[in-house]
Amino acid sequence: MLLQLNNIFKWVQQGGQRVFLLKDINLQVEEGEFISIMGPSGSGKSTLLNVIGMLDDFDEGEYSFLDDPIHQLKEKHRAKLYKEYIGFVFQSYHLIDELTVYENLEMPLLYKKHSGAERKAMVADMLDRFNIVGKKDLFPAQLSGGQQQIVGVARALITKPKLILADEPTGNLNSTQGEEIMQLFKQLNDEGVTIIQVTHSEKNAAYGKRIINLLDGRMV
Amino acid sequence: MFKTYFKIAWRSLKKQPFFTFLNTFGLSIGMAGALLISLYIYDEMNYDTMFADAKRIYRINVDIKFGGEARELAVTPAPLATALRSDFSEIEAVTRFRTWGSALLRKVNADANVKEEQTTFVDPSFFDMFGIDLLAGDRNTALERPNTLILTKTAAEKHFGINKAIGQNVRFNNDKIYTVTGVIDDFPQNSFLRNHTVFMSMLSYADSEIVNWGGNNYQTFIKLIPNADINDIQAPLRGFLGKYVIPGVQQFIPGVTEEQLKVAGDYLVYSTIPLTDIHLNSHRVAEVSANNDIQSIYILSFIAVFLIVLAAVNFMNLSTAQSLKRAKEVGVRKTLGSNKTELIRQFLVESGLITFLSLALATVMAVVALPFFNSLADKDISIPFLSPIFWLILIGSVILLGLFSGGYPAFFMSRFSPVKVLKGGGQSSVGGGNVRNSLVVFQFSISVFLIVSTLVVYQQLKFIQGKDLGFSKDQVLIVNDVFVTGNKANTFKEEIKQLGFVKNATLSSYFPTPSNRSDTTFKPEEGNSSHENAISMQTWNVDYDYVSTMDFKMVAGRDFNREVGNDSTNIIVNETAVANMGFSPEEALGKRYTSTLGEENPQYFTIIGVVKDFHFDTLKEGIEALSLRLQGQKNAMAIKLEAGNFSNSISSIERVWNTVAPGQPFDYYFMEDSFNDTYQAEQRLGKIFIIFTILSILIACLGLFGLAAFNAEKRTKEIGIRKVLGASIRQISYKLSLDFLKLVAISILISLPLGWFIMNKWLEDFSYRIDISWWVFVLAAVLAIVISIITVGYQSIKAAIANPVKSLRTE
Repeated sequence: MLLQLNNIFKWVQQGGQRVFLLKDINLQVEEGEFISIMGPSGSGKSTLLNVIGMLDDFDEGEYSFLDDPIHQLKEKHRAKLYKEYIGFVFQSYHLIDELTVYENLEMPLLYKKHSGAERKAMVADMLDRFNIVGKKDLFPAQLSGGQQQIVGVARALITKPKLILADEPTGNLNSTQGEEIMQLFKQLNDEGVTIIQVTHSEKNAAYGKRIINLLDGRMV
Repeated sequence: MFKTYFKIAWRSLKKQPFFTFLNTFGLSIGMAGALLISLYIYDEMNYDTMFADAKRIYRINVDIKFGGEARELAVTPAPLATALRSDFSEIEAVTRFRTWGSALLRKVNADANVKEEQTTFVDPSFFDMFGIDLLAGDRNTALERPNTLILTKTAAEKHFGINKAIGQNVRFNNDKIYTVTGVIDDFPQNSFLRNHTVFMSMLSYADSEIVNWGGNNYQTFIKLIPNADINDIQAPLRGFLGKYVIPGVQQFIPGVTEEQLKVAGDYLVYSTIPLTDIHLNSHRVAEVSANNDIQSIYILSFIAVFLIVLAAVNFMNLSTAQSLKRAKEVGVRKTLGSNKTELIRQFLVESGLITFLSLALATVMAVVALPFFNSLADKDISIPFLSPIFWLILIGSVILLGLFSGGYPAFFMSRFSPVKVLKGGGQSSVGGGNVRNSLVVFQFSISVFLIVSTLVVYQQLKFIQGKDLGFSKDQVLIVNDVFVTGNKANTFKEEIKQLGFVKNATLSSYFPTPSNRSDTTFKPEEGNSSHENAISMQTWNVDYDYVSTMDFKMVAGRDFNREVGNDSTNIIVNETAVANMGFSPEEALGKRYTSTLGEENPQYFTIIGVVKDFHFDTLKEGIEALSLRLQGQKNAMAIKLEAGNFSNSISSIERVWNTVAPGQPFDYYFMEDSFNDTYQAEQRLGKIFIIFTILSILIACLGLFGLAAFNAEKRTKEIGIRKVLGASIRQISYKLSLDFLKLVAISILISLPLGWFIMNKWLEDFSYRIDISWWVFVLAAVLAIVISIITVGYQSIKAAIANPVKSLRTE
């Protein structure tokens, strides 16, 4: 088992009242799963993803990741865990404008202890794998949206994570580009990477082996 | 339209209180500093302009080299005045001053003396020359008779009251009786006569009537007739050497000719200087009042310009930096049909609003800081709020400043392409990063340069104060005006020496602190009558205890000694003197010199000792030739005290004084204080440097702080991405700070060589100076880096701590 959420609650105080963002979430994710989270705007999809990604706190409940109790860990240990095991893909790619494709891919490695030669090999590997060798010296602004997202996925994968968290990865793309990314995810999943994606599209959700529906912070 | 401009400007300023505060605060500090400095410079540039015909008044200077060292004098011979009047039709009036320094005055029937610090003999033409009206007395006769004097209002009030002063008799220095014949207004603080309170008629001073071209003791002022050209009198004035001076000198040294002088490399050149130039440009021996240096005016002008430019640079930087937030507004406006000119106008109104806010704040700051600034600069400046010209200049310069500093941001922002900014291209849509960076480099270069300058100025001052002067100035108390005790001076000295806390005491008129002294020409016994072997030396009247009290070192021969016999025809000279004579100290012993030239039986002095050179002038000057002798009047007493409670010692000495000189003012000072006073100008410069260095660093830091805040904001997204991808807080804040430290490092590289070069130039003014040591540069660099780390660090850490979820949220 990769991770388990038990009775997770998250809320904010608004005018003396608790507004629940997540309400009693129970979720078990096995390694190798491909899960799609669906639901209308404001239903808590992204919040749930951020909680799983340890970017956001929750107020109540238990969360264990690879048998480590996240709710009891210090920030430092959590950071170490997600650096090691989790990769993120964003709707608006979030590449750094001032860095080339090559440098964008290399960046996560800089924050881990990899030697220069190792980094070079790993980046080259990724460039090969996603067929973007020819674009390595271009800046994000010089790429199409689909190409940017491919770089985004490559960047998420370069640290060899067990889990990919994708927040509407195709939201800014046209249908052909979106299709391409989803195929890529499917292929990755077949290779054994666990994927959790948030999506609005029924079609994209269908790529997942399991679909979770959220409404007002609750699983339905 | 303009109303909307103001409304929007006001709202956008209010919306960003932090940036508005940084902008206004930085700008107003710069303005307030520049305002104060400008007032100071204005005051300095307007010395002596209050005299009605100031533009037509000149002083005669003379450069002399006549055996020994070259000297530049502000004083000329007494008969020069008559010669000028008879030789030049261009000259309307000539006035001589014979400054007398301090004097004791008392009413004839009173016992107690009152001291006046600055007195002078003056010709009757004084009134016409400077356009001076009398408050009481008759202008036509006031200085026409011997033994008359006029007082300034302050002095008259002190002694008699303005209305009762005329006709009163006063005793001058316990000697002659003078009649008060006039009262004049006090002289303004920015006049060369500012400290003079008593003006005696020149006829009271017999020497002024003697035709002696050999002595230079009179400041001679001339006034040209209207429309006369000063250049017309220069050549004939130089001809005075052959026409008057050589014939005069031939009386003492027969056979001297102008050619002989030239061959020996000697000269005597008369020249003129406009009255209004004297305060900043004249540094001659025997100035009427202490002058300032034009250099310090230049330095201050630079500082004022620096301050304003630094503040303006801040303004530009912060404004363009903020423009990211305004980009959307510009895009919307352009889409809705606003053209570039209107946008520029809108932004200029905004910067105008900020500059005027700053002006208001700066005025308040200046008013608050003025008393402090006045005491620092030793001035009596007020802000001329009632002068329309002042307001005109002030508001004019503020508008210029607003256009200058608001212009670049306005053009910069109006250039934004609406399509780009509306699409939310973020960072790449707002350029100008290079300009901002170079402006930061510029600011920090100036700050680092000022840090280096401050350190060097302080080191040099410390060096001067700690320098071995060749004598001991510590714990030496000097009692002035000992001559009022009449023949009891020696009794006074012996009684003082009995006191337990007194190590030694000596009577003399001369002490090794900077003051006006005159040289005398000495001729050796065995020489011929040519001047070539003559040397020019100062002569100090001292007593037997002088050398031991001052703690001078003898390098050859002996000190004056009562036991040996009569030393009254012996002299002790310093090392410089024997060097000028062309002897070693040992060779000089026994040589005989005289200062009574051209007489049948001159009085010879025998050199019995050579004293090690000591500094008696400021360390800007070198050491001049000097002789000590036992003859002559001694006006003051130096008392070497044991360490301890000086105030008790002083009151004990005063008690003794009151028994030998009842009713006379007890006037004393410590030699060390007088020594320190000499470097007041440098100390003042040092303090001004420190204050304005701190101000400029503060302004630069405000700018850097604002930029760091902007930069952190601009890069929020990037920071978020990096954090999600595993960067630690430390790594991110380090990266953010590093960008700015690079700029600071470039500034350091630029400003250190500059500082080294310019401060070495400044040091060249001193005969005795430090070498600038390497640690000054290291310290300046470290200071700049530490200050910028503190400034930028806060913003960087704040940005690094922020939660990435917020910054990465997709709207």
